[in-house]
Amino acid sequence: MLPVIDIRNVHRIYESAAGYTHALKGVSLQVSRGEFLCIMGPSGSGKSTLMNTLGCLDTPTSGTFKLEGVDVSTLDDDELAELRATRLGFVFQSFNLLPRATVLRNVMLPLIYSDCPVREREERAVRALQAVSLPEAYYDHRSNELSGGQMQRVAIARALVNDPAVILADEPTGNLDSATGEMVLKTFRRLRSEGKTIVLITHDPDVAAWADRTVHIRDGKLLTDEQERALVAADHTIRSST
Amino acid sequence: MRMRDLAYETASALDANRGRSLLTVLGIVIGISAVIAMTALIGGIKQSLVGELGLNQARLVNIYLYLDRSVTLDDAHALTQMMPEYEAVAPITYASAKTTSETKSFDASVVGTEPVYFHVMGLKFLQGENFTEQDESDGALVAVLDQGAVRNLYGKHDEQVVGKTVQIGSVSYRVVGVIESDMGGSGDSGTAYIPFSTCAARLSGSWDVSGMVGLASEDTDITKIVDTTKHKIQTYYNVDDEAIEDGTYIYTMQSVIDELDTMMGAFQLIMTAVASISLLVGGIGIMNMMLTNVTERIREIGLRKALGARSSDITKQFLLESVCLCLAGGVIGILLGYLGAYALAALAGGTMASGLGLGDTTITPAIDIHAVVMATGICVLIGVLFGYYPARRAARLDPVESLHYQ
Repeated sequence: MLPVIDIRNVHRIYESAAGYTHALKGVSLQVSRGEFLCIMGPSGSGKSTLMNTLGCLDTPTSGTFKLEGVDVSTLDDDELAELRATRLGFVFQSFNLLPRATVLRNVMLPLIYSDCPVREREERAVRALQAVSLPEAYYDHRSNELSGGQMQRVAIARALVNDPAVILADEPTGNLDSATGEMVLKTFRRLRSEGKTIVLITHDPDVAAWADRTVHIRDGKLLTDEQERALVAADHTIRSST
Repeated sequence: MRMRDLAYETASALDANRGRSLLTVLGIVIGISAVIAMTALIGGIKQSLVGELGLNQARLVNIYLYLDRSVTLDDAHALTQMMPEYEAVAPITYASAKTTSETKSFDASVVGTEPVYFHVMGLKFLQGENFTEQDESDGALVAVLDQGAVRNLYGKHDEQVVGKTVQIGSVSYRVVGVIESDMGGSGDSGTAYIPFSTCAARLSGSWDVSGMVGLASEDTDITKIVDTTKHKIQTYYNVDDEAIEDGTYIYTMQSVIDELDTMMGAFQLIMTAVASISLLVGGIGIMNMMLTNVTERIREIGLRKALGARSSDITKQFLLESVCLCLAGGVIGILLGYLGAYALAALAGGTMASGLGLGDTTITPAIDIHAVVMATGICVLIGVLFGYYPARRAARLDPVESLHYQ
């Protein structure tokens, strides 16, 4: 079956005042439909760049990125925006809800950019909120009246509302205590069992344990679990011998 | 993005910044209310002026002849035949005579003219009716009095006098009608109007005319009629340019109105300049607030882009916000402007009217739909002009950087 995400030999080089930054150095990655993948890496490893690339917010300097078979590098800005509106769902570490808008309005926000008929919107938003088990009593609350766990579930509902090909979650539990974090991860787990494709970024091994598969990113390069273990072991050996 | 969504987003964004938005549009409010109040007052003054003069007055042409030869009634008739651009022309001869009723007497101005005179001058009959063409050809002893003359003869201006007999000079006349006093002419001092032939035979002793009054046809260009008329008189008498310049005095009410327009124009120019500066400052205020707005909402913009907003969606959203701000300012300005105009008219209308020689007329500000449409248009224009740069700045933001902006 066609992988949902198919990245081949992607390089990303930034030009900044400090010079060139080579953030991704030949990354290749395939994610199949219905997979819950975790990308782990320390800060500065290039995981955010990889996430932005997967989210069509950033384009690779070289290499190919196919989302559901569509070569993203050939699309212009408006087509990328449409892709984000219809095929991608984002969950952020800091939730990024509109504080003054109601829960329902927040969840419906992506629908105004995807030409969804007005009468369908509320129905879809309610369905998405049911999928993250947020009680109906909260639907008309302003989002800034919710707890962190509730906010993140609203954010996940917002990511779900367009029935995207992939849900991209960037440190979704980073701002939550471990109990609420677990609740959010259970939500992802359940969505995965319903057939959603999820890519989650974290630096926390406990979070990574919830995923089907984990890849590690170091200095802009991807490593499998085994390679990572070998690397860590070698690192350990070097440290203990000195 | 649908129009409906755009409207919703704009409304909620403006609602969030209500206090700040209101302060920011103050410049627009002041500019627009100044323009509206000014146009309303000038329109009101013009209206009461035209109302005072009567509708015919704009088409009225006064012709006085001082040529070195006499102009007889026959000449006047011949000239009238030559001038189809006039709907009607009445010859006039002036006299004055001691006029007496049963109880009182006074020195009246006497106008000898033809029945069409009252139509040309736009004078309304308050009692009785006009003398007739028959009276004119018979040299009948009939008279029309104005209210001033009635008051001078009978003590009060609304005395019923039709059918009574007055003595003008040495002869008795039957009063057939009373008209309102002619503001443009002798005013309130009292005038008696009698047929031209009667005046020529009994009072002035000559068939020469002192002048003529003409009513230009509706479709005539009133600005050209003075020259046309001069040219025709020149042709009739076959005299040179200099003689015609020295020997004729022709003026229209239009020239008086034009003069007023010029005066008002100067006033309008000053007010427009003040309003423009205010609108410019207001527009800069709007731009400043929109820029602050964009900076404050960088994360929101980043989020919207991540969720699929195109650059054009962001541009539209911020542009509509500034246009709505300016429009709100415009609406408040229009309301305040008319309110101010009515207040000014009520407080100082009398002073203004008498200053313009309108007597104690009240000035009612004119609500002009053109001014309202223009003010609204200006507001939209300012909104677009000063909102474009902030909106483009918002649209150009990089989504990745904006999402992580602190």
